[in-house]
Amino acid sequence: MINPFEAFKEYKYRKRALPLDDIVASKAMVVNKLMEGYQHLLDEEVKELVWLARENTIMRAYALAEEWTRGIDYDVEDIEEFCFELDRIRKAPYRIAGPGGLYLSALCNNVKDEEVVLRIGDMEGRIHLLGYRLPKGKRLIVEGDLGDFAGIGLEGGELIVRGKVGNATGAGMKAGRILVEGDAGHRTGEWMMGGEIRVEGTIASIGQVGFGRIFERGRQVYPPITRPRRI
Amino acid sequence: MSAEDGRRKFKEIYNFIGNHLYFNRPDVEVKGERYNSALLFGLLTCLVQGKELIVGEPGLGKTTSAEYVSSLFYRIPLGLIWGSEVAGHPEQTEEKIVGRPDLGKLNQGIESVVWSNFVQLPVKIVDEINRLPETKQSMILDGVDRGNWEYLNEILINEEFCLFATANYQDRGTNTIVAPLLDRFDVMVESKHPGPNLSFFIGYREDKDRVLRNPECERELQKVLADKRPYPEKLPEIESLCDRYGEYLKEELGVETPDRREREEMRSQVAGIPFDMDAEAFSRTMLAELSFCYQYGQKRSDERCDEGCHYTGYLCHNIQNCASNRLPASLQRYSKALAWFLGDERVDLEHVRTVFPYAMAHRVRWKESYSSKREKELREDPLPIYLAKKAVAEVFRRYSEQKEEIKNALALAFRIMEGEELEPALGDHPIYLEIRRDLGRRLRD
Repeated sequence: MINPFEAFKEYKYRKRALPLDDIVASKAMVVNKLMEGYQHLLDEEVKELVWLARENTIMRAYALAEEWTRGIDYDVEDIEEFCFELDRIRKAPYRIAGPGGLYLSALCNNVKDEEVVLRIGDMEGRIHLLGYRLPKGKRLIVEGDLGDFAGIGLEGGELIVRGKVGNATGAGMKAGRILVEGDAGHRTGEWMMGGEIRVEGTIASIGQVGFGRIFERGRQVYPPITRPRRI
Repeated sequence: MSAEDGRRKFKEIYNFIGNHLYFNRPDVEVKGERYNSALLFGLLTCLVQGKELIVGEPGLGKTTSAEYVSSLFYRIPLGLIWGSEVAGHPEQTEEKIVGRPDLGKLNQGIESVVWSNFVQLPVKIVDEINRLPETKQSMILDGVDRGNWEYLNEILINEEFCLFATANYQDRGTNTIVAPLLDRFDVMVESKHPGPNLSFFIGYREDKDRVLRNPECERELQKVLADKRPYPEKLPEIESLCDRYGEYLKEELGVETPDRREREEMRSQVAGIPFDMDAEAFSRTMLAELSFCYQYGQKRSDERCDEGCHYTGYLCHNIQNCASNRLPASLQRYSKALAWFLGDERVDLEHVRTVFPYAMAHRVRWKESYSSKREKELREDPLPIYLAKKAVAEVFRRYSEQKEEIKNALALAFRIMEGEELEPALGDHPIYLEIRRDLGRRLRD
């Protein structure tokens, strides 16, 4: 009888160098480190359980998030695991969604992989501010819904949301592309400076857009296509 | 002829076409070098006697790229190649493609076949194959597959044989290519738009392919092909005329091309290149995902697996049909040819990862829900090639995570098959279950 495994005759059978328990433990360790970093961010940013999304608070919180995640050896799966960990914790201030989105954005922007897929459809809470400053060459695919300010300040990356998004999607984005497969909320494209937003569902309203293009169900809605005047 | 000499000639042809005839951008990278996929796979097709489907927009060099590589690799003047092409259109008949009865002899009560140039020449080009109605596509199925052509109880077998077919994207005049015919193509490539700058430059060089014409050789070859002697008797004469054209190419254009003996040597060198263990294990991992179904035992075009299956995260969940046995055959031949071209002693992971998308793109039918989800992503390739590249990258990631375990499982299976009392390895990938089935274990406990 033919032995279809002949090509592996010379392969020296080795025991697994890294047993499953070790992998799980090392994964848990990475997620713990990420949680620690997030805890530091909350300690510094969330005073008296209040956090307001303003330009300066967003920039400061993001800088801190990058600082606290620097040096942690994590991958795409760890980011996803961190999302679920965050969702599991019921107590404040973990439930304040803004810093969480910025912290996740910092993780996505600095991970080695070019493509990040977050399957967060089962999460109870909505993540705001995800995709903040997503740089060129990165693709963030979110399977699930997002909260407000998705893709804020996008810097050339591609954000794909396989669900719906809240208000002010793509606010202040400079370049890149946002694709939303569901609906988008109010003030979509607010202060947008470039790039493209495509919404396959409906857009509740468009914000004050500087530059860039917005499409709703394949039709360009900003800048509006004007018909030539009849003379 | 040494492998080095063969490679030099192969590269000379690639460079000559790329620099003088077919202007396009490189779009595939292997071992740090960038190549144009249409040109590279076209030449590999000639080398391995394969079958290539070239898709693209009208006027972007699908047919001409095939004509150039065929003319130079097989030493056939361009004019003769033009005269032997088959055009796909609804009125096409077997008599125009394969051969017709010799009417003179038929009047005398003798049945004899006049074979077409298309059938007699080693290179076959079918232009716009998807304009052939689906019912007529089966007419060329056997010839396309094996190089055996039958008409009026006569048979003509091509000793040397390769095929190029071009297809436009769907429009009002096109039909779908039937799955059995599609599966017979080894690879699919796209002849891309070269960009506005090269495109404008091509406009200056409209008569660039005149250099591959040789009217005298063309006339003499045509005379031999039209001769009514039996085909094997004509072959030596055809070869000597092709060699004369080869001399012309060398003297006039400075391009050295291989003669028939050299082509055969090249092929035997290619065939002798082995796969390394990783390339072999990765290919099997990939094939497992393209054929496995936990629910129904294997993928079948008319069966749809349920949501919520444990193997939802693998390719098998996103595809509709099952990988045929022709896929690994194509993969092996082209990977070996690529390794030979690059001067490598073994086929490694990079060769396999380069070839796999082009060998599977036309063969895999993705589920509508999956392809529609991904079709709007930013990309450079047509959707089938893009999805195939993504699939290969995805399986490669999985393979890299557990390559030692997969190789262990395969090595263990070898020992079990040799009679050792061991238990097959367990793991979370279809390949482990397929190994268990090969060892006579049940798929489901």
